[in-house]
Amino acid sequence: MEKKNRNKAEKSGFQRARETRRNPPSSSNSWKLRPPDRKEAPAAVEESSDPSSSIRERSHNDDDLNPPALVGTCPDMCPVKERAQRERLRDLAVFERLDGNPARTSPSLAVKKFCRSISTTHMQASDIRPPQVLQNTLKYLLDLMDSPEHPFEVVHDFIFDRTRSIRQDLSMQNIINDQAICMYEDMVKFHIISHKKLGRCCGKSDVSSLSYLNMEQLMKCLLSLFDMYDINQRSKSIGKNEAEFYSFYVLLHLGYKFPKMGASLSFWYSQLALPVLQSKEMCFARSLLRYSQVGNYKRFFSTIAAEASDLQLCLLEPFLNEVRGQALCYISFSSYKLQPYPLRHLSKILMIKEAELESLCYECGLETSTDEAGSKFLPAKQTSFRLPKPGFQSYSLFNSENNCG
Amino acid sequence: MALHLSMGEAHRRITEYLARFSDAVFSQDGSALNPLLAVSSNSPYLLSLADALNVFQDSSRLVNQTDKYSLLGEILLPHFRCLQSFRIGRFVDAYVAFEKAANAFLLEFRNWETGWAMEAMHTVALEIRVLAERADRELALSGKNPEKLQGAGSFLMRVFGALAGKGPKRVGALYVTCQLFKIYFKLGTVHLCRSVIRSIETARIFDFEEFPVRDKVTYMYYTGRLEVFNENFLAADQKLMYALMHCNPRSEANMRMILKYLIPVKLSIGILPKMGLLEKYNLLEYKDVINALKMGDLRLLRRALQQHEDQFLKSGVYLVLEKLELQVYQRLVKKIYIIQKQKDPSRAHQMKLEVIAKALAWLEMDMDVDEVECIMSILIYKNLIKGYFAHKSKVVVLSKQDPFPRLNGKPVNS
Repeated sequence: MEKKNRNKAEKSGFQRARETRRNPPSSSNSWKLRPPDRKEAPAAVEESSDPSSSIRERSHNDDDLNPPALVGTCPDMCPVKERAQRERLRDLAVFERLDGNPARTSPSLAVKKFCRSISTTHMQASDIRPPQVLQNTLKYLLDLMDSPEHPFEVVHDFIFDRTRSIRQDLSMQNIINDQAICMYEDMVKFHIISHKKLGRCCGKSDVSSLSYLNMEQLMKCLLSLFDMYDINQRSKSIGKNEAEFYSFYVLLHLGYKFPKMGASLSFWYSQLALPVLQSKEMCFARSLLRYSQVGNYKRFFSTIAAEASDLQLCLLEPFLNEVRGQALCYISFSSYKLQPYPLRHLSKILMIKEAELESLCYECGLETSTDEAGSKFLPAKQTSFRLPKPGFQSYSLFNSENNCG
Repeated sequence: MALHLSMGEAHRRITEYLARFSDAVFSQDGSALNPLLAVSSNSPYLLSLADALNVFQDSSRLVNQTDKYSLLGEILLPHFRCLQSFRIGRFVDAYVAFEKAANAFLLEFRNWETGWAMEAMHTVALEIRVLAERADRELALSGKNPEKLQGAGSFLMRVFGALAGKGPKRVGALYVTCQLFKIYFKLGTVHLCRSVIRSIETARIFDFEEFPVRDKVTYMYYTGRLEVFNENFLAADQKLMYALMHCNPRSEANMRMILKYLIPVKLSIGILPKMGLLEKYNLLEYKDVINALKMGDLRLLRRALQQHEDQFLKSGVYLVLEKLELQVYQRLVKKIYIIQKQKDPSRAHQMKLEVIAKALAWLEMDMDVDEVECIMSILIYKNLIKGYFAHKSKVVVLSKQDPFPRLNGKPVNS
């Protein structure tokens, strides 16, 4: 239920933005320059994050006399009222406690929480943070990423929630300019780095659901970001930044259990401008997807090693074991009984440490064999294969040639 | 031209139209009413009426002063405004007026018990979409937000609601559905198709066979395309084949549209169309793809995809065609096998990975032995090749019987 409300708050923000948008800053011919086949405003991307909304719901939003966007005036990271209330209720996160006191906080520690049941009509300007405060809040939060005192899941959980609140404030104020785009891009980066770090946490069950929720939020952020790119007509003259962020969306589809949001990838491509699709970063992502679906694990890994950017690699890391698992499956099925496959050689192709490959075999229900010299092999024709469970620890890309990973 | 139109003549044209309109409504004559609403058809009759309206300028008095016209005033007056605006190329104004007329028409339509006005209702449905598209284009060109088509979609959902009942009107629902599909595809909101599809396919009031053939073809075409987007090849084949089989063969444009999506689907399940078909319907963008499959030439496939990248991406078939790669590999290996068999039949079933790598190098595809082995392992796993590979010996050993199973109408195992 809360998902729908939140989507309405974000959704109507962008709807309002479109309705009140003035002439674009560039030449008045800008609309004419768009190829006639591409639709002008991708309502799809925003709506598709809530697939159950019927056209009736959206028409209802259109008919609403949308109140003008609020202008926030809250000067702190957390509005005074909320600070006082949470002190009373002792509802303070570890990072917000003054000297560890669960009932005391301060303006420099408290950060506004994400509110599920929000209604724009009851919001006051003093509860909403203006863009500069939001930017400072975001910087404060992202600086916490490397806090060594707390386990990463705790850090992640806090930043996850508080950045969601930042997006909420942006949406209620209808802010979709370059500053908002930068903030969204930073938040996407947070989710990607979290994605990698959570992947490396040893398989606890709650981590796997945290990871799923993180991917879901990452996807939502990306879709909103693309909407903003479009409204600001960024994708026409595509800078390096946008191409990489679009590529993240494609790479997310590598996970076999990624949250299925929005339309199929084929459809998404059909709506995207050609310069975006042909950018280096998108070609990389599209190739990876092809290698993964065709099953060409050799090229999959060699291409990543050769071309992936740092962030792309962060995003890919938790998916690598799935592709490696598939490779084990193919090899076990197709190889010759009397010639089991040497793990050392396979570990080079799959760019994984040999010891980790062995663990992965066991995780996939496969046995290994050892010869007199102590080398490990993968016996053929094993029938017990299963893909690694979600939450199984990710193994980094280990390129034995350069020893990077 | 309008300038030479006298007030008297204008008056005559308007009153004649009013008489026709009200006679059609009160005698429940659907085929008489229908052409009176087709704004975008640019029929000479409506063009001359629009000229008359623009000259006369006081048609509301004519409507309101006669009882039988004023009863239909809520429809007629905005409809007149629409005709006037459309005539002078003001499409946003035309749409806004037509929407009002359409809403008023729908109210009346709900009260008419039989389906006598179905044809007219369909015309309204078509017109509102067409006018919305024009309006949106006008908005976009002036830097404003194009939102009329979305509004037309809302209206059509209400029309659908009016038709989704037990009475005789229900056979008109599929036509409206197809108009909605066209809107959703144009707006890029194809996920909204889901709810209408669900209504058509699961509601007990609808019997799919009862709908007119023309509507069923359009419906299957769009739902088939959705299946292509979602890569459900068997469902896509079934739906697009239905559309193809029931489409009027003389309507070449429609046949072409269906084939454009059907061909990639057929290729995915191992069925290759004849070149003659591509030539007849001008679908030559698939020529090299098909040749690549026939010859096992991966380089040709890659080239074909690159050459028509924009087209294939826009129509949503790119990813489908990309996946044909495995079938191309299968064909290449089969060719090598055939050559080997001719040279030495007793040893043909053993193929050195090196030989395959050489064949690929000859096709300018650089693959080392590891990658060849990788591809072989997938082809074997997905049952495109029967056999096994031996890592140490670096060979593929093919089964003596049927080493290259055909797809037989099923997509490659995933």
